[in-house]
Amino acid sequence: MSAAEFDFAIFGSTPMAQLLAGLLGGEHGRKVLLIGQNRAGYRLPRGIDLSVGPITRPQSWAMLPGTSAEAARLVTRIAGRSAISRVDPIFFAEDPRAVEALSHMRHMAGGFGIAAEPVGQSVLGGNRSGMVLRDAMRLNRPQLEIGLERWLTDCSVERLAPRSVAVENDGAVKIETDGGTSRAQQAVLADDEAIVAWLPLRQWPTLFQRVHHTSILTTPTRSLAAPIMLELDKGLFLTQQAEGGVAAFGPGDRSAFSEHVHGLLGQNRQVEQAGQTSYAALATKDGAPAFGRAAGQGADIVANTGCHGAFIAPSLARWLAGGASADEARWFDQHLVNRTSRQTRVDEFQWPLEGHAA
Amino acid sequence: MRPQINRLPENAPKGFAGTAIDRTKPLRFRLDGRIVSGFAGDTVLSAALAAGIDTVGQHLDSPIGLTSRAHPAISHASLANDPQFALPMARTPAQDGAEFVTFGVERSRGVARLFQPGRTLGLKLDSAHPLSRPWRTIPGAADAATDLLVIGGGVAGLSAALAGARAGLTVTLVEARGFLGGHSGLFGTQEGEDAPEESMARLSAEVEGAEAITVLTATQVFSIRPGLARAHRIETAPGTSRGRVIDIAAAHIVIATGALERLPIFAGNRLPGIAGCLDAYEMATRFGVWTGQRAIVATSSNPAYRLAMLASDAGIGIGRILDARPEPASRFIAFSRAYGIVQSPGAVVASVGIARAGGLLSIHTENRHEAALVTDRLLVCGGWQPDLTLWHIAGGTSVWNAGRGRIEAQGRLDSIALAGGAAGYFTRRGCIQSGADAVDQLLGRERRAVDDPIVDPLHETPDGPIAIAQPVPEGAPTYLDAGIGLLQRPAEAGRKRRFAFWRPAPGVLTLLSEAPQALAVNEVAAGVDLKLIPVDAAGIVAQERVASVPLSVEQETSSPDTWVPIEATEIPSFLLGRYGPEARLVRIIPSEARILEAGALIFPDSDARHPHYSIGVILRHEPSGAIGLVAASAATIDYPVTVREKGQIVRAQIAALDA
Repeated sequence: MSAAEFDFAIFGSTPMAQLLAGLLGGEHGRKVLLIGQNRAGYRLPRGIDLSVGPITRPQSWAMLPGTSAEAARLVTRIAGRSAISRVDPIFFAEDPRAVEALSHMRHMAGGFGIAAEPVGQSVLGGNRSGMVLRDAMRLNRPQLEIGLERWLTDCSVERLAPRSVAVENDGAVKIETDGGTSRAQQAVLADDEAIVAWLPLRQWPTLFQRVHHTSILTTPTRSLAAPIMLELDKGLFLTQQAEGGVAAFGPGDRSAFSEHVHGLLGQNRQVEQAGQTSYAALATKDGAPAFGRAAGQGADIVANTGCHGAFIAPSLARWLAGGASADEARWFDQHLVNRTSRQTRVDEFQWPLEGHAA
Repeated sequence: MRPQINRLPENAPKGFAGTAIDRTKPLRFRLDGRIVSGFAGDTVLSAALAAGIDTVGQHLDSPIGLTSRAHPAISHASLANDPQFALPMARTPAQDGAEFVTFGVERSRGVARLFQPGRTLGLKLDSAHPLSRPWRTIPGAADAATDLLVIGGGVAGLSAALAGARAGLTVTLVEARGFLGGHSGLFGTQEGEDAPEESMARLSAEVEGAEAITVLTATQVFSIRPGLARAHRIETAPGTSRGRVIDIAAAHIVIATGALERLPIFAGNRLPGIAGCLDAYEMATRFGVWTGQRAIVATSSNPAYRLAMLASDAGIGIGRILDARPEPASRFIAFSRAYGIVQSPGAVVASVGIARAGGLLSIHTENRHEAALVTDRLLVCGGWQPDLTLWHIAGGTSVWNAGRGRIEAQGRLDSIALAGGAAGYFTRRGCIQSGADAVDQLLGRERRAVDDPIVDPLHETPDGPIAIAQPVPEGAPTYLDAGIGLLQRPAEAGRKRRFAFWRPAPGVLTLLSEAPQALAVNEVAAGVDLKLIPVDAAGIVAQERVASVPLSVEQETSSPDTWVPIEATEIPSFLLGRYGPEARLVRIIPSEARILEAGALIFPDSDARHPHYSIGVILRHEPSGAIGLVAASAATIDYPVTVREKGQIVRAQIAALDA
C-alpha cells in the first residue's frame, strides 16, 4: 500500500494547533494532516485562549495586537461571534518578585495602548496586588470547536487517529493508522501533550522542563473578582464557567494544587470538586515561548505559548510556510527552541517550578 | 402518625419480612414535623418508605422518587443547618422519640405545604446540588491506623478481610450500611454454590469473630489516596446519632464496593414508584418494605426475573416483564414463565407518567399499538456498572469495554487493589476469590487464577445494552442515573451541539465539560451509550469528573515565610538584554518628591511615549529612591530624562546608584 504524502503533520488538540492546521491547509495551500481531537466539550479545561498574557517583553506586546485582530476575524469567520467574547481578566500576585513583574507588565501593556489598571487589595484580599486588562478577547473553545470541524474540512485538512508515530531526525514523520501509513515532510508538535507524547528523546531541547500540572473544576460558587484570573506567583488560572463553577489549572500536583485553590477561593465558600485531572506539561527555563525545529533540524515545536498562543496562530502559520513579515520572522527567530543565553534575551517572568518537575 | 402502609407482613415469604428489623420493638420519630412509625433496626429512610413517603420533592416541576441512592441529608432538629451534624437518611438508624429535619434544602412553605400529598418530603430540588452530602467538606479526624483497610462488606470485602487477617495483618473493614453481607442475595445461586444468604452469613460471622479485624458499619468512605481514606461514620448512642468524619491510615487498601445498577433511559425514569431492582430487593429483604401491590419489571439483565419471582411469592402481582433484549434466555426466565408472569422480550419503556393522584404509574412502551400499562410500581434494571468511584478518586484509570457496555478498571495502583464487582467479577465465587486475590496482589504474593464461572450465553443471556428510549418532547424529565446528581439527558435542541447537556436550570444549555457537578460513573457510562462521550475518552472522563475530596499531603509550599527578599540591585531575568548588554543600574531622581512605580518607562524626552523609544525602566522603588535600568548610552550623571507613569510625565535626572 502506498503511503499518503503530506507537507505538514500537525499534532495537537488546542485551538492553536487546529487554527494552525487550517491556515496552513487553506491560506497557504499546503497539504496538511491533523492528529488531535476536539475535546473541549467533554474534558476539563487545561488552558485558556486570551488576546493578552503575562508579558513583559516589548517585542511580544508589539506583535500581539496585529495578529490578535487577524485571529479574531478568522475565528469569527469559522465559528461566528459566539466563539469570541470580551473579558477583563485580572492578573494578581503576592510574592514580591511577582508583584514587581506585574507592575512591569502593566506599564508595558499600557505603553502598547492596552487599558491596564491596578487592582487593589480590597478586591483581591490578603496582601495581593493585581492589574485588570480591559477588553481582552477570549476564545470560547467549545463553540469554536464546532466551527473548526467544518472549516478544517473546507481547508482540506485530513484527520487521523494514529496507532504509532515515528518522527525522523530531519523532522519528517511516518504515521501508522488502522487504515494504512501516512507520511509528512514536517511534523509540527503544536501543544504540550503532543510534544510529550511524540518528540523523540534525542531531539529533546535543553530549554524544556516537564512539570506536573493539575486542572480542577469546582461546584458553583459566587462570582470571582473577574471571570478570568491569573495568580502570577504560581501560574495558576481561575476561570468562572457559565454555570458558576470555577475551573482552575496550573502547575502543581493534585493534592497541593487543590488545597491551594480552596485556599484562594476562601474558607467561607463551601465548594466541592466536580472534576480534577493531573498531567505533564512543559515549561521553558526562561519562561518565554519556543518555536522552530528541535535540535535544529527535527520536528517543529510550539511550546510555552501561554494563554495567548491561539492569537499568534496566523503569524506562526506564515512563518512555517515561509511567508512571514520581517518583524514576524525576527520575533520567531528570537524565540527558537534551540536559543542560548548568548543570543537576544527573551526571558519572561517565570513562576517557580521547583517541586513540580514531572 | 403515618401507618406503615408499605411494610410487608411479618410472615412474608422468601425473606421479605425484613432481617434487619425487630417487630417487637416499635418506635416513632418525627421527620420534618410529621410522625413516622417504624421498628428497631429501621433506618430513617426505610421507616419513611414503609410509611408511604416515596417522594423527595419537585425537580423541574416533576416529582423525584425517594430511594437508597437519592435522598436528602437530615439532622437532628436541635442541630439543624450545621454540616458537622448532617446525617444520611439511608445510614441513620431510626430512633424512638428522635426529631429529624431534612438538611440544607428549601422546603415548600405555607399554603403550598398544606396541599402537599403525604407521600413527599416536599423539597425544592432546583437549586444547585440539592442532595449533596455536607460532611464531605469537613476535615477528617485521625482514626486508628491499620495494615489493611477493606472498603465494602460484601462477600468480596469479607473475603479480603479474612485473607488479610490470615496473613497476619491488622484489618479494618468499613461498610456503609448497618450490616455486613452485601448484595449477593439478588443474584441467586449458580450450580455448585450454596445459597447467597448462607455465604453472606458464614463470611460475616467469621469476620465478626476474627480478633484482627475491626468492623466499622454505617461508615462510608468518600475519599481515598494511597495510604489514607476518609470516611463518614454514624455513631449511635441511646436516643441520638452523630456523624463523624474520620481519616483511616492504611498501608494497603482493598476497594470492594460492588457494582451499581444502571438506570434505563426514558422520560419519567425517576418518578416516585420507580425503583431499581437491587434497591427494591434490599428494602424488602432487610426491612420488609415494599411499595404497592402490583409491579411491572423493565430490564435488560437476568436478576430482575428473580426479583419478580420472589415478589410474586410474597403476594405482589407482577403484571409483566419488559426485557429490552430480543431473545433473552436464563434459568430465571424459564422459572418466571412457569410462574405465569407475562414476558415481553424486545420491549423498551418509552415513557412513564403519573396515572392519577394516589400514585399509579402509566407506562408506555415503544410499541405504539400497545395500550399504556398501569401499575403501582415499576422495577427497572439497566445492567450493572462496577463502582469505580473510589478507584478513580485514588487516581486509578479505566476503559470502556464495548462488549460488556461498561467502564472497567485498568492497570494498578500502589497499595490499592480492587475486588469483587468493583473489579468487574460477575459471580459470587469470582467475587469471593477476588477478595483473597486482592490481598495477594497487595502483599506481592504469588497470585492464583480467580474462577469466575460465567454460564454459556446460550443458556444465560448476558446483560444487554442499556435500554434507551426515543426522546419525548412533552413528558417528565429523563435522567442519566438514579443517584444524587439529577443530571438530565440532553434535550433534542442541544444535540446539535454534540457534547451538550441540559443543566437543571430550565432552558440553560451547557456542556459536559462545564457542568459544575461531578459525574457519577453511571452518568459517564450513559453519556457513552448516548454517544455524548467518545468511547476512547470514557475512562478519562470518568476519572476526571469523579467527585473527589482532596486529602492533603504534607509538603512545602510557597508562602510569605519562604519568600527570599529582593536585593536592591537584583535585575529580573525578564529585563535582561532589554536595554542592551551594557545596560546600567542608576538612581532616578524625580524633579518632585514622589514614588516611581516599578515598570514605569524612562524616555529621553517628553515627546516620546512608545515603549520602543524608551531608554530604560524603573526597576523598583527603594526607601532611598528609585532605581532604574537604563541603556549604557543614557547612563550619564545628571542626564535629564522623562518617566511616564499613570499617564503623567515626570521629569527626572539620572544619578549614580550610590548617590
